[in-house]
Amino acid sequence: MSVELYALMAYALTAVIALVMIGTVVVLNKLFGGSEEEGGME
Amino acid sequence: MDMIAQIFPGIFSFGVQEPMIACARVALIAFGFLLAYLGFKRILEPLIMVPMGVGMICINCGVLFLEGGKLGNLFLDPMISDPAKLVDIMQVNFLQPIYNLTFSNSLVACVVFMGVGAMCEIGFILANPWTSIIIAIFAECGTFVTLILGVHLGLTPPEAAAVASIGGADGPMVLFTSLMLAPHLFVPIGVIAYLYLSLTYAGYPWLLKLLVPAETRGKDILFFAPEVPKVKKFMFILVCCGLLCLLLPMAAPLIMSFFLGMAIKEAEIVPYQDLLESTLLYSGTLMLGLLLGTLCEAGTLLNPKVAPLIILGVLALTVSGAVGIFGGYVIYWFKKGDFNPVVGISGVSCVPTTAKIAQHAAEDEDPFAIVLPVAMGANVGGVIVSAIACGIFIATIGMVK
Repeated sequence: MSVELYALMAYALTAVIALVMIGTVVVLNKLFGGSEEEGGME
Repeated sequence: MDMIAQIFPGIFSFGVQEPMIACARVALIAFGFLLAYLGFKRILEPLIMVPMGVGMICINCGVLFLEGGKLGNLFLDPMISDPAKLVDIMQVNFLQPIYNLTFSNSLVACVVFMGVGAMCEIGFILANPWTSIIIAIFAECGTFVTLILGVHLGLTPPEAAAVASIGGADGPMVLFTSLMLAPHLFVPIGVIAYLYLSLTYAGYPWLLKLLVPAETRGKDILFFAPEVPKVKKFMFILVCCGLLCLLLPMAAPLIMSFFLGMAIKEAEIVPYQDLLESTLLYSGTLMLGLLLGTLCEAGTLLNPKVAPLIILGVLALTVSGAVGIFGGYVIYWFKKGDFNPVVGISGVSCVPTTAKIAQHAAEDEDPFAIVLPVAMGANVGGVIVSAIACGIFIATIGMVK
């Protein structure tokens, strides 16, 4: 694999993992009764 | 002559070394003085620069003749790998046990990271999760651009990835990645990383002035920050820690260290918190600075691969800062102007330096502007995204041919 393609894929994977992680936290927060007023989630 | 060599080996050794090495020694002694002085004047980070400067001076002055007329020192020898020789040398070199038992296995990086975790406030990222993480993703761009340029400048992919990790602006992360991917370049990468991280405090305000107009820099951000219950913060820490270790086992030691620090803070275990925040963090930082300095021997830094590292380090931090600011603009446009793009710089995870830079930039234009809480969220997000990027590099860099 060329370095350019690898860098692009690694960046995309970094972004996906970060977004999945934060999404999981937001979803868990909603499931466990968090709301904008209570939980501070945007 | 032999008598002089025995009494003053440090001075005499200049005459018997290769001229190039002798000149490099003199240059490094002068550079050590400069770093220690700039640390003393608070122009560079004193916690790292004073011990690093002192170490650099002493390792290049304190050269003596060892067995068989070989030149060496009584600090440490990073090149020894034979177990029997290692046990012997540990009885002689006073920094050898610290180097082998805490440095070369990246324990010191993990200890510093525990301390950083214990000082991070997770509530900021929980208040603005999407904004924080999106800005942090933009601000990681320098890492990947530098990887490409590093390979084109003649470094191997693991070497380029190790130096590219400077783009995440996270000292312990750079140490960990370079130890995993390019241990032979660990010393120059570590020195360059900490030197440049100290310089961000001086350089990034200029980048903000260049890329964000004055009227936008002074924009206040309405920060809706209700109290996040402790239990939610604690759960967030456990979920993130477990999830990231599951996805990136290669970076698990560093991830665990960071989240352990955070968990101890949120669990309010005061004795542990004091231990991490003061004793461990500061002893780790002292040893880190001292060892980085004592590893700066002339012979180590005359490696021809060091020159591209100097350029790539600056490039990584500049691109990360600039693209982070662009990320700030993206949020600014998305929120129809209800955001301050200077927060983008704090996606570069130099906790809490870049968040403070964003706040100062806003304050300089409007003394009542407050962006710090949002900037701290992006800052913590930056640490998490840097850990992910380094974990991906360590696990997959072998795919590049």
